[in-house]
Amino acid sequence: MSESTNQGVRHVKEAKAVPAANPVAAMEIGSTGIRLLIASIEATGGIKVLDRAGKPSRIGRDVFTQGNIGREAIRESIAVLASYRELLHGYGISPDETKVIATSALREASNRDTFIDRVALQTGFKIRIVEDIEENHLMYLAVQQALQDERKILSRSNSMILEVGGGTTEIMLLKHGKMMSSHSLHIGTLRLDEQMREAGASKNYLQEFLEGNIRTACDLMAEYMPLDSINSFIVIGSDARFAAYCVSGQNLGAYSILGREDFIAFAETISKLSIEECIATYHLPWAEAEGLSSGLAIESLFLARTGASQVIVPNVSIREGLLLAEVRGLDPAVEEELKQQVLASARALGKRFRYDEAHARSVSVLCLAIFDSLSKEHGLGYHERLLLETAAILHDIGTYIRASGHNKHGEYIVSNSEIFGLNRSDINIISNVVRYHRRSPPAPTHVNYISLPREDRIVVMKLSAILRVADALDRNHSGRMIDASFEKGSEKFLIRSTRNLDFSLERLSLADKGDLFEDVFGLVPTVL
Amino acid sequence: MSDYPVLNRELSWIEFNARVLQVALKDSVPLLERLKFLGIVTSNFDEFFMVRVAGLKAAIGRGDHSLDASGASPEQLLAMVSARVKELVGIQYKCLAEHVLPGLAAAGMEILPPRRWSLGEKRYLEGYFSEKVFPLITPLRIEEDVFPSTGNLQLQCAFELETESGEKVYAIAQVPKNSGRFIPLPKQDDDDPDIFRFTLIEDLITSYASRLFPGHKVNSSLVFKVTRDADSGVDEDRQEDFLTAMEEVLAGRQNSTPVRLSVSGKAAALVAILQKGLGLGEIDTYRLNGPIDLSGFYDLASIEEKSHRKTNSKLRDKAWAPVVLPGPEGASVWDEIDSGDRLIHVPYESFGAIQRFLDEAADDPSVLAIKMTLYRTSGDSPVVKALIRAARNGKQVAVVVELKARFDEERNITWASTLEQAGAIVTYGVARLKVHAKVALAIRRTKDGAIHKYLHLSTGNYNEKTARGYSDLSIFTANDDLCREASALFNMLTGYSTIQPLTHLAVAPFDLKKRILSLIDREIQRSSPESPGLIEAKLNALADTDVIEAFYKASRAGVIVRLNVRGACTLLPGIPSLSDTIEVRSILGRYLEHSRIFHFRNGGLDEVYLSSADCLPRNLERRIELMFPVIDEGLQRVCVEIMATYFKDTDHAFRMLPDGSWEGVKPMEGEIPVSAQEQLYKRVKRMAEIAEAPPEQLQVRRRFKSD
Repeated sequence: MSESTNQGVRHVKEAKAVPAANPVAAMEIGSTGIRLLIASIEATGGIKVLDRAGKPSRIGRDVFTQGNIGREAIRESIAVLASYRELLHGYGISPDETKVIATSALREASNRDTFIDRVALQTGFKIRIVEDIEENHLMYLAVQQALQDERKILSRSNSMILEVGGGTTEIMLLKHGKMMSSHSLHIGTLRLDEQMREAGASKNYLQEFLEGNIRTACDLMAEYMPLDSINSFIVIGSDARFAAYCVSGQNLGAYSILGREDFIAFAETISKLSIEECIATYHLPWAEAEGLSSGLAIESLFLARTGASQVIVPNVSIREGLLLAEVRGLDPAVEEELKQQVLASARALGKRFRYDEAHARSVSVLCLAIFDSLSKEHGLGYHERLLLETAAILHDIGTYIRASGHNKHGEYIVSNSEIFGLNRSDINIISNVVRYHRRSPPAPTHVNYISLPREDRIVVMKLSAILRVADALDRNHSGRMIDASFEKGSEKFLIRSTRNLDFSLERLSLADKGDLFEDVFGLVPTVL
Repeated sequence: MSDYPVLNRELSWIEFNARVLQVALKDSVPLLERLKFLGIVTSNFDEFFMVRVAGLKAAIGRGDHSLDASGASPEQLLAMVSARVKELVGIQYKCLAEHVLPGLAAAGMEILPPRRWSLGEKRYLEGYFSEKVFPLITPLRIEEDVFPSTGNLQLQCAFELETESGEKVYAIAQVPKNSGRFIPLPKQDDDDPDIFRFTLIEDLITSYASRLFPGHKVNSSLVFKVTRDADSGVDEDRQEDFLTAMEEVLAGRQNSTPVRLSVSGKAAALVAILQKGLGLGEIDTYRLNGPIDLSGFYDLASIEEKSHRKTNSKLRDKAWAPVVLPGPEGASVWDEIDSGDRLIHVPYESFGAIQRFLDEAADDPSVLAIKMTLYRTSGDSPVVKALIRAARNGKQVAVVVELKARFDEERNITWASTLEQAGAIVTYGVARLKVHAKVALAIRRTKDGAIHKYLHLSTGNYNEKTARGYSDLSIFTANDDLCREASALFNMLTGYSTIQPLTHLAVAPFDLKKRILSLIDREIQRSSPESPGLIEAKLNALADTDVIEAFYKASRAGVIVRLNVRGACTLLPGIPSLSDTIEVRSILGRYLEHSRIFHFRNGGLDEVYLSSADCLPRNLERRIELMFPVIDEGLQRVCVEIMATYFKDTDHAFRMLPDGSWEGVKPMEGEIPVSAQEQLYKRVKRMAEIAEAPPEQLQVRRRFKSD
């Protein structure tokens, strides 16, 4: 494994004290429904489900047709949340203690702030809107938990984790159990319905439309990993669970497995029924029956592109992931694994833009060594260290576009890419650090920097300072400073190499790029 | 019409009532119990006419000639129903007149007809009539075009009067409801204090009728009762409440379409007038050879109790005091349930075990919430009191109430709003679906913050009164899967969530029927000639054609099917190549059989289920019902043993024959009749005795180190 792992072990987060066995609750305000999960966290870190509830919601339909949440939908949603508050009260859980997230529909609503505000006032629930990438992260946690028994199989194969929602489809590609890339497509069951209606289209058109869109998406994903090499197809969501239940008729447990052909055949059966027929035959509530046909159709199309012979349907949702994310402090090993996923995702992104892998690695090593030696000075922690490492991997990515101004190109690429496991504010920090790894340091006229919250700006300053020095130390991309040791002096930051070489190049570079470091840490970086 | 032979449901139900009548005919049954059963026959018929026959007449009225599953048209059915009911009513009244009343008279409880009133009694009664009865009577004249209101199931008297000019006039008068049916006759000085004499209020009225119509001569009189269509909203299982039917008055619907006329008395002209006014014919007219409406006669029992006769067991069944099985010393109900699932069999065991669960849930500070379904209960019920207390103690109480808006308006609304005012969440069922499931869930938080759930699932209602007369089974469990699914069910019933698919609990109308059919199917798959499958089911009624078809299919495949059906059963057992391996029994004893049990051998991995639902289309498709597995193997064995006990009954059991008729199950030559209900009671008593025997203590000597 790379050198960073050794340092990583030292810097693993301290495990938090095991919390009391109190029940916890997670709620998702999605595009088709509002769903609640109440569970207790076991000593092993697993989740024991105590209660579940779900009610359909019009939010997605409103947002995808008119761009905002209508009055009726707001009223309805608040009524549902009020009833959930009552349900939670029976477990001694207050709205404050409940984790509430919202995904694509609320994200895209023009009146989302009003909605969040009203909900907070009238029900006490505080909604946090999650980005696609965080959604993926949470789903991953949940799936990992559910498929613990299948871990061995997953670690030997390539897998695709797919979730078709009302507004978006989230896809994660894993190579031998490690995250390669995550994608968020603007294809969803509700969105589809709306598009079809607008186009006045027929069912045939739907098929063509889907096939076209999915082909494009698959071609894009194939750049990361050839899709026919995927032999585990993991699909999440109530339509898949329903398919699993119908096909095997069995108790689901943590997950179900069905054959590829069975799944495709079932999707086809459903596509031939009208919504009313679905409801009559299968006793489904309207909201579920609505999205069933298109959901299964999308899933089948993706399945067809993979080489998977089986479909795995975990019996989990983003809510389990949310709860697991909260308790991940319990398990340092999980933290570490997630960190590896982030880095792997960053490296895959770098590869895509043909970065200099060796140089990126050298700079990372140097960054981390400098970071560790100055821990008292900067006061930053495990998470910021990860952001630094990621920025180090990606700092030169912009050269793909052009060498001149490549720090700005890099900033753009990073801020518009998806790195698994990082949320928007993390990405903002990293893109800024990438921007400031050379040339001018942060200035008040730089909009992307100034718009960051104050704490984040400080983090950017500190990390950029370190990155600039590390980059300077590998000016010739040879990695020859990689085993240097660092020491704080009273006025100087001493950099010592065991190799007996001429380091004039590095000194020159430091003179140029060490300015920010001096400003931030009050130490002059000096190569001895 | 179905492809395979089934009985008509109405006729099958009538045969159930015929079996109830058989109990009344048995000499071995104590007299007051026989009287009670005669009354049950009457109230059962009341309900039957109000709902089922009303339905037939309505179909005829609108010209609907469609054939039912057995191939009969509404007209044919009505004719067959009328003929058979008349036959049974004849037997009923013969029993009353020739056996029960004389027997009671001999035992010191006598009902005197007017011709046997002594002079002294006559004087007393005249005064009684003038003072207490006369002011309450409002005679109404029957005009050519105006027929007065006769209510539903209300006792009425009809009179043919003659004016001074010889004109014939007809009138009716309602028998006052609240004065009591039995008027105690004053004791004579030399009377044995243990002899009670009564007369019937309607006899009093007809005897002194001339007082009601000054200036008229009373030519003839009779007593009658009109049964009217009770509207489709009525719960068909009202026959469950035969014990409480006496308490309840059927309000409302006093003027809907008449369906039946019951008369006692011979005046032909009067009968004709009534028939004409009510729009009923001979087919709808039932002439009774004795007092109308025997359902109130069991009141004699309570009068008898006031005597010094309490120790006289000859007239009553010896009471079987419900047993309380003791748990470990000092253990809370939570500890008990945590240590293992428990099965409660009322009325052999006391309802107290269930009440204790509710009381502890209400009073234990560690309990956060209680959720339960409530179907037919009263305001002073200890169940409701516990819930009110729980709400006042700050617990979250959620109650799903089944309101019979038509019949229970005032009473239900009062206690339901008391609950709401105490802070409970009360929901009134799910739209269009009656909530018939019986389930209670307590959520508790222990000191370490962990949540624990405790679940009660039952075949019978949370009603301490019916729990003394109906046999029902219920389970206490802390099983995670069942508790989680019960939570999901409550979320659905209280509107928190849409339907979620459940795998352990089966819920009607979603997948309960499917589950039963697939279990029967599985038994067929697992059956082989060397090891035939086995299905045992105890139900209150079996008339769902899909389920019957599945049983027939199972029998053709060699599966042994043993059915214990208390009421209507339209399946025909023992028909070659159709139902050879199906046996149907019915038990009618002192307790009303109410529990529903299913047992599937499943190739050796036996499965036992209890259910709140009967196999009637209405239950399986238009109600919320629950079927739940008995997971604990020991308790499974107990349930199987209970079902086997019923099949060994040779005292109160009936066996169905391939032609749909029933015969009593008799003991073998020289054997004493075995009563299943008695066996079940003895079993529970034995368990109580074993539990109470003090454990042997071993004295242990040990030296302890001093600290």
